[in-house]
Amino acid sequence: MRLSGDALLRGLVLLVLALYTAFAAGPFLWVATMSVRTTTEISLDHYAWPEIWHWEKFPQAWFNSNYSVYFENSLLVVLAAVAILTVVGSMAAHCFARYRFRLNRLLYFVIFSAIIFPPQITIIALFQILVQYKLYNSLLGLTAVYVAVQLPLTVYILESFFARIPSDLFDAARMDGYPEWQIFWKVSLPIAAPAIATTVILNTILLWNEFLYAVVLITDEAKRTLPLGIQRFMGDQLEDVGMIATGLMIAIVPVVLIYAFFSEKLIQGMTAGAVK
Amino acid sequence: MATVALDGLSKRYPGAAQPAVDAVSLTIAHGEFFVLLGPSGCGKSTTLRMIAGLESISSGKLEIDGRRVNEVPAKDRDIAMVFQSYALYPHMTVFDNLAFGLRRRAVPRAEIDRRVGAVAETLGLAELLARKPHALSGGQRQRVALGRAIVRDPKVFLFDEPLSNLDAALRVGMRGELAKLHRRLEATMIYVTHDQVEAMTMGDRICIMNGGRVVQTGAPLEVYRAPADTFVAAFLGSPPTNLLPAQIAGSVLSLGEARVTLPRRAAAGEVVFGIRPEDIRLDGAAPHARAEVVAVEPLGAETILRLRLPGVATEVLVRAARTVPAKPGEQVPLAFDLEAAYLFEPASGRRLARDS
Repeated sequence: MRLSGDALLRGLVLLVLALYTAFAAGPFLWVATMSVRTTTEISLDHYAWPEIWHWEKFPQAWFNSNYSVYFENSLLVVLAAVAILTVVGSMAAHCFARYRFRLNRLLYFVIFSAIIFPPQITIIALFQILVQYKLYNSLLGLTAVYVAVQLPLTVYILESFFARIPSDLFDAARMDGYPEWQIFWKVSLPIAAPAIATTVILNTILLWNEFLYAVVLITDEAKRTLPLGIQRFMGDQLEDVGMIATGLMIAIVPVVLIYAFFSEKLIQGMTAGAVK
Repeated sequence: MATVALDGLSKRYPGAAQPAVDAVSLTIAHGEFFVLLGPSGCGKSTTLRMIAGLESISSGKLEIDGRRVNEVPAKDRDIAMVFQSYALYPHMTVFDNLAFGLRRRAVPRAEIDRRVGAVAETLGLAELLARKPHALSGGQRQRVALGRAIVRDPKVFLFDEPLSNLDAALRVGMRGELAKLHRRLEATMIYVTHDQVEAMTMGDRICIMNGGRVVQTGAPLEVYRAPADTFVAAFLGSPPTNLLPAQIAGSVLSLGEARVTLPRRAAAGEVVFGIRPEDIRLDGAAPHARAEVVAVEPLGAETILRLRLPGVATEVLVRAARTVPAKPGEQVPLAFDLEAAYLFEPASGRRLARDS
């Protein structure tokens, strides 16, 4: 008996996939087990399977450690920022892709080139601006910063997708009697749905996990977002590893949910070109 | 039904040296099937898009039913257009594609259902109304695109090379269907194509464009039989008209080494002698010239011969019977049907009047 080349290749591919899955899911599972163990238990054996499942840590984090507030803040900021990003980003992308106007490419380049600055370069200036405009230490200010930070990438992804929609479709809609605004809503947006889903997921996950801007721009306990809440368990001398893990699990659940909900669209968007 | 009148219509793109459309004047009658024919880049599609309102008009006047519509936006011109790419909305079903234009015009729902149903019935789309465009064949998509225009019952139909994405067999079928549709609707239709067969078979009149200008307008056979210049002569007809450099002295035409006596006297000098491949016979009785066979192309119904006339650089194409026994390298006798031949002025390419 000899293994055929195909079976061998298949086995190899499966092995690589299994290794990668272990690499990606391993830490996640590890944190998941720690989230139901206490810090004392964890310090005795880092990798042990939970003997007693401390589910009570979740309500404890939620109610006693203020996680309900952090969660609400995160939800508010991320939902608002993603909503604004999606609407403004898709409109901007539509214009850049569809209309010929002076400086079209230059403006597009300027917006896109904002991506090259690492946040550390702009954050002090940003801090001062927000203080001057009384937006420092406010969720509104953080939302505005998130929109500004993610807009270039959003426009970039959407523009390349909108540009691939054949212009005949817009002409057909114009012949069918629709004004530009309606063409955007009834033709561009539905066709670009996969790309829009991609940006929604991307922005949601990035902003949900965002730490740097939040830690600089928010100080109030009542205005902390989830990443800041998790940071609260990291003391100078002592780290409550068990509660950090519980907090992480609370923070991860929505990301997993949104990904599961949108992933099909995301894959469609990535393999896009289904415009024909 | 409507008339469409173009008066000195021009389109200049910023930065372009030549206008894309240069002072085109045409009048298209009620219920006429009018074909704009020309090679790619001749300005025919731009002309159509100006009529549609998709392209702004640089200068000149466009009238529909006697009303100037230069500045009227596309949506208010009551024109429907069928695109080469079909331009079906990929996210909508066939029904929604057909109903999209009606919904904008606030047609009542029951009326939309009735009209879409009727059009779907005529075009054989009734079974496909719930499908999306990606689940349709090329021919079906083409019919949806057509239906989307018909269902609106517009004043004028515009077609931008609607058949060029179909395979050959479907194209022949759709040509017939379009002609039938035109008879049934009695609508004004303007049809852009680079395919002379479509133009010849469907058009009431055809307008041949080149380099942004109108070269000739007329009924298909009229244009075929009396081309205005060498461009039209070469463009219409397959294989194209032979255009051979020649000299005239008195009534004798020198075609390389051959001497042909013309039925009428013509002004002496250099000319281009134009003769269609079907107007040359292989005739030993009274030959005008003898030529060497370069290649034989049997097409089944007929045979195309490529010949070389002594002293003429251009090859001569002859459409001969399918049974022609010629072989490459042989000498064959040629007789020209001089009544069907044309003389063109070499510099401008214009046809010289027959009786000059």
